[in-house]
Amino acid sequence: MKTLFSSYHVWAYLAFAIVILALPLIGDEFWLNRVAKYLCYGMLGAAVALTWGYAGILNLGQGLFFGIGAYAMAMSLKLKSYTSMQQGSETPVPDFMLWNAEPGAPTDLCCITPGSWLWIPFQSQWVGLIVAVVLPAVFAYIMGRIIFGQRISGVFVSIITLALVLLTRLIVTDAQPLTNGFNGLTDLGWFTVFGVELDPYSKVTYMVVAVALIIVLALTRMLVATRAGTILQATRDSDTRALYLGYDVPAYQSFFFAVSAGIAGLAGMLYVIVAEFASPSFLELSFSVTMVVWAAVGGRGSILGACIGAILINMLEARVSETESLVEAWKLIIGFVFVIVVIYLPKGLSGLAHDLMSKLQSAPKLSSVQKEEAHQ
Amino acid sequence: MNAVALELDGLAVDFSGFRAVDGVSMAVAHGELRVLLGANGAGKTTLMDLISGKTKSTEGRVYVHGRDVTNQREHKIARAGVGRKFQIPSVFSGLTVRQNLEVAQSGQPGVFANLKMRLDTEAQERLDETLDLIGLTDEAETEAGVLSHGQTQWLELGMLMIQNASVILLDEPTAGMTAGETAKTAEIINRLKGKHTLLVVEHDMAFVRDIAERITVLHLGKVLAEGNVAFIENHPDVKAAYLGKQGIS
Ligand SMILES: Nc1ncnc2c1ncn2[C@@H]1O[C@H](COP(=O)(O)OP(=O)(O)OP(=O)(O)O)[C@@H](O)[C@H]1O
Ligand SMILES: [Mg+2]
Repeated sequence: MKTLFSSYHVWAYLAFAIVILALPLIGDEFWLNRVAKYLCYGMLGAAVALTWGYAGILNLGQGLFFGIGAYAMAMSLKLKSYTSMQQGSETPVPDFMLWNAEPGAPTDLCCITPGSWLWIPFQSQWVGLIVAVVLPAVFAYIMGRIIFGQRISGVFVSIITLALVLLTRLIVTDAQPLTNGFNGLTDLGWFTVFGVELDPYSKVTYMVVAVALIIVLALTRMLVATRAGTILQATRDSDTRALYLGYDVPAYQSFFFAVSAGIAGLAGMLYVIVAEFASPSFLELSFSVTMVVWAAVGGRGSILGACIGAILINMLEARVSETESLVEAWKLIIGFVFVIVVIYLPKGLSGLAHDLMSKLQSAPKLSSVQKEEAHQ
Repeated sequence: MNAVALELDGLAVDFSGFRAVDGVSMAVAHGELRVLLGANGAGKTTLMDLISGKTKSTEGRVYVHGRDVTNQREHKIARAGVGRKFQIPSVFSGLTVRQNLEVAQSGQPGVFANLKMRLDTEAQERLDETLDLIGLTDEAETEAGVLSHGQTQWLELGMLMIQNASVILLDEPTAGMTAGETAKTAEIINRLKGKHTLLVVEHDMAFVRDIAERITVLHLGKVLAEGNVAFIENHPDVKAAYLGKQGIS
């Protein structure tokens, strides 16, 4: 009988939760700020594993959803920033809009630059928060319905997602008066919950990110353990077979694609809260590819594995970048690691852990069988 | 027994001038096992493609229990009660045998209906029964990808059983099987008879004699003859169609 959390899985999740919740006991705020960013990447890794590992959809544009989440939150936090109150208007107006405005344009979000009215709802940080999660999910769902509805699969999905993220990057960098183009959104204010300002360099903010990650991991793990999760894996193995069993395969693919996008959006939103900027670099192809490497190394077949993969690689990268001579070599190292993993460890680190655990678990059984054999 | 489960009315497909299936009409009674016979390229697989929605027909209609399902999308036709086994066996290789059967219990196919953890006891019992029937109880927790060819075929048959398809299309279910495996497959298929309506493509005449009541012979996309085994084996047109192959042996 396969149970929801077969024995050691539960322990793995619990151990991970305890470790990240305990980190504030040993580290200072600067270090915790850095780790909080890695936890956001960890969430992103889990999102990649959900589509890649469970649905067999290799999304090479996951950065798009992270980016939307990041920009939505950054827009809200930009309007909360002191830099938005220095334009001499009653209501906040981002500083860069003033620099980009036509002479004589009224200093108001309604019409200071073309499209600046899009910013109006973001004066509420909660709008930023909701848009950060819902917009990627809705966008992904519609995208999924169109792509999967056409029975497009495999590498073609990767190409389409890749093209979309690059297209979006082009639009974002081009819309300078609306997005501050290449410079991204900086000088952000802080998110406020129940009167507490989330100072990026504080233990409270770290804990918010850590708890969010734990909740997301637990819910995602439960989601893939439902019947729907099994059916999703079935569509990965043979979409035709699933179709002829009466399942609307594109509906399943789109649903989980949307969930993954929502998680990526949430990760992007949290990242902005701790990193205090949003930039078009989130929409670069190399970032989306990097996420895939995290998931591959951690193990795309495991939500937790991909998450840990992301965190470990980033910790390693931070270590390496402290050594001047290794900085240049990092890309080479990570590329090499990726190739090794793909060839020798297709299930990643979590696959390795799984094999070890099942060896350990079956060892006693084996010996009793051997005993019986010895009797005969 | 006399209600019609599957009815084809002048079904045809035109592949830019080539009519692989050319005006096929037939009625299969509820609980009947009908064998579809025909030389290579006669249009047997294409006929199944047309019934199950894989290929869109250009003429004619398909009725399942009186309901018109012509050219509907595949999962809609499946929901109307048509199950299908392909010529090349197809199961979910990354899932265990048990999970394969769980997924095949597709009574409620919607995404949200399936956001629950496990099957109810009744479904669980049916699953165990099916495992027993296809002889894979010991392999229940095995990944389907590592099963033998025969076991894979049986698993797929089990999936059709548990899917509760009222009309089952089987395309060469014994292809590539050993004599022992073929016998077991005949046994499984005979147990399906009565409860399910079956349309089976098969070349192996010994096997056909084992399972068939009525046979429909296809030739160049058209129905050549229809009748019981003895009638078909002695039918002059059928003999002529198989000429050079020394009849159907
Ligand atoms: N999509 C298609 N486009 C063009 N021709 C096709 C298509 N599908 C099938 N055909 C042709 O239709 C004819 C019937 O093929 P079909 O696969 O139905 O034969 P069959 O009776 O199943 O033969 P076999 O015993 O070899 O499986 C063949 O000549 C085949 O080449
Ligand atoms: Mg065929």
